Amino acid sequence: MIMKGQKRKFPPEDVEVSDRCSPTWESQRQFVFSVSLSKYQRGQELPEPSLRRSVLIANTLRQISLEACRAPCVEREMSPCSSSSALQGKERESAFSEVTAAKHHSAVGFTNSHPALGSCPVPSSNYLSNCATNRCPASYHLNTSDVPLSVGDEDEDWGSMSTDPDFSLSAAISSILTALDSTIDGSPQAALRTPLRSLENLSRPSEGSMAGVKQGVRGYGGSWEQHQQQEEEEECRMRESNMEAMRSSYLSDLTVEDLFQDIDTSLLERDMGVLGFRGSGGGYPAGDDLLRYLPPFSPSSSTSSHPFSLSLNQNLKCLPSFSTFSPLSSSSCSSPSLSLQPSSPFSGQNHVREGLELEHLMEILVES
Amino acid sequence: VMWCFSQVKGAIDEDVAEADIISTVEFNYSGELLATGDKGGRVVIFQHEQESKNRPHLRGEYNVYSTFQSHEPEFDYLKSLEIEEKINKIRWLPQQNAAHFLLSTNDKTIKLWKISERDKRAEGYNLKDEDGRLRDPFRITSLRVPVLMPMDLMVEASPRRIFANAHTYHINSISVNSDHETYLSADDLRINLWHLEITDRSFNIVDIKPANMEELTEVITAAECHPHQCNVFVYSSSKGTIRLCDMRAAALCDRHSKFFEEPEDPSSRSFFSEIISSISDVKFSHSGRYMMTRDYLSVKVWDLNMENRPVETYQVHEYLRSKLCSLYENDCIFDKFECCWNGSDSAIMTGSYNNFFRMFDRNTRRDITLEASRESSKPRATLKPRKVSTGGKRKKDEISVDSLDFNKKILHTAWHPKDNVIAVAATNNLYIFQDKIN
Repeated sequence: MIMKGQKRKFPPEDVEVSDRCSPTWESQRQFVFSVSLSKYQRGQELPEPSLRRSVLIANTLRQISLEACRAPCVEREMSPCSSSSALQGKERESAFSEVTAAKHHSAVGFTNSHPALGSCPVPSSNYLSNCATNRCPASYHLNTSDVPLSVGDEDEDWGSMSTDPDFSLSAAISSILTALDSTIDGSPQAALRTPLRSLENLSRPSEGSMAGVKQGVRGYGGSWEQHQQQEEEEECRMRESNMEAMRSSYLSDLTVEDLFQDIDTSLLERDMGVLGFRGSGGGYPAGDDLLRYLPPFSPSSSTSSHPFSLSLNQNLKCLPSFSTFSPLSSSSCSSPSLSLQPSSPFSGQNHVREGLELEHLMEILVES
Repeated sequence: VMWCFSQVKGAIDEDVAEADIISTVEFNYSGELLATGDKGGRVVIFQHEQESKNRPHLRGEYNVYSTFQSHEPEFDYLKSLEIEEKINKIRWLPQQNAAHFLLSTNDKTIKLWKISERDKRAEGYNLKDEDGRLRDPFRITSLRVPVLMPMDLMVEASPRRIFANAHTYHINSISVNSDHETYLSADDLRINLWHLEITDRSFNIVDIKPANMEELTEVITAAECHPHQCNVFVYSSSKGTIRLCDMRAAALCDRHSKFFEEPEDPSSRSFFSEIISSISDVKFSHSGRYMMTRDYLSVKVWDLNMENRPVETYQVHEYLRSKLCSLYENDCIFDKFECCWNGSDSAIMTGSYNNFFRMFDRNTRRDITLEASRESSKPRATLKPRKVSTGGKRKKDEISVDSLDFNKKILHTAWHPKDNVIAVAATNNLYIFQDKIN
């Protein structure tokens, strides 16, 4: 009775285990969590998601997250709440508000074009506030102060259902995914993780931000010096959006050129000049050129101190992994106000993983 | 009561066209007419034929009376969405004259249909020929008055009212009020009260939409008017609660008069507790004293005077409780089963999977599981009770839980208001069963 394309990570015992301390319960919880998440996202992609179904799935997600926080017999670093410090909670909240602020702008742009989205609740606020208060799940105080209200809610009969973008869903999902990461990855890898930064909690894009970015991407122009901040912002959002784009059909509307239009090519140009490669004028090489230029990734190349590969690494680091939601790969996508830091510590392992992900991404982009 | 097969309507082949899937079944107040709606937006009405004089011990059959296209697929240009033509509910109006009226609704629009018979035709018009062309004035030399001549019975369905543009969300229920003048329609977040004569406006009487949609945790799943008190209605929610509202108390009935909820049993708590508690149907008893709710695994009968727990609980398919995870995966856990009372409120019926349906006798506390299948479709053949084996040794004729076909689900059933005749919708087939009369 498995749905098509749904891989089971853990074969769920059909008998529900009520004992929270047993590993079976935990595996069941994780299984239900991942199924719920994919159901929710798939449901949101439909042109008109069923409200009842979305509400029930969202409530289930919320409950599962809650139970994770509440689980008393956590021995390893399972629950995100147990490992979260107040700092993380604060970071999450600040990332949350930053992200929602960013998304609000994009949400305004797309309201008219993607009406049927996100009228559904998210586990975000409750989850965040619960984790931030560190296992004080009794009170559901909502983190609504940081959340800008959805646009166009006043004109309800016209499009009330349609004009509620679920921008906070992205933050929620990312934080939930982070939790999933920590549980699924297990202890050995958890030890190797870089300390959680607010970067990790950056949102997954909703369709809204995708469309908003589309508009942003198309309309962007000007030298990179003046608009560097914006550029990085656009770029990263675009990168995130690619993730969603893979799953939706939006990618068909974009060309490879569009996707690469906003790459910070300042460094690239310099390096390309060094290597004898000429861009096609205007400082923005065509997407194909860039693709051609990308060096093949191998473990050996990870240790090279080639300036281009390092900067490209960082530019493309923003891309989340497709195969697994590995914390390392999703870690470095910046929120709009953070600038890319060339000196961030990366182990060789990261490069390898990113290399593989990068290849994978390139394949997908090229195919599309 | 021994149930036996009476009729089956619908195509036999295995390939089921999506448009033929029956989405609602409803007897009218006298039981003479039986209406079905399908996913293709069509309404088919069956009429009960008089018992033949030769064999009075057999009940008459239901034959097609009228078929019409009630709703067409629409496109909402503002939201770029297609509006499904699937008929979500049909409710009959009490008959007041020779014609029959029913309300049918899809996700967004409710229509009032008049079904009338025509068995006479006027012939011999003065100014017109028989084929309708105007007669040449010079040829008219004398006055003639048309005469009514019998003709073959023709049943016409015409839309008399269209109640549109009042629901942002999907309509899940309509219910005719006992005053026969008003009716309510409910979507996921709002309930509107209409007057049958007025189509351009309705009163919003319940609105549970939160100011911030992110705070939404509960939706309306069903609503019904009280059968006798025209000021009372109930609505159920996805959290397993029922609210009874009195329209005399306030114009906006956001605050309930009664709140029905059974406290959760902590020992049976699971990840899916909330989902399976979601109420998929609520029905008042004919007496108006009780109401029945259907959640995923059980049917509960509530006394309207007692809010803290139901008076009766019947397990429909408890053997599925250990399979909830799989049922969640394949989405079956979201199926919305309906339930119904018999005419005397002594028995209740609801559907299950594998084309099984269950009936519970409230007095004897006995229950029975029957199957709607072509195999047991011999005329007047008594239906054999079915049993699902829950574990251990499977007895002969029992079926194991894992062999159940979860694609064959009986979501819609109806019980004749007076007699022991039931209509069971199994995907694209309509089965009619009746009790054995000796």
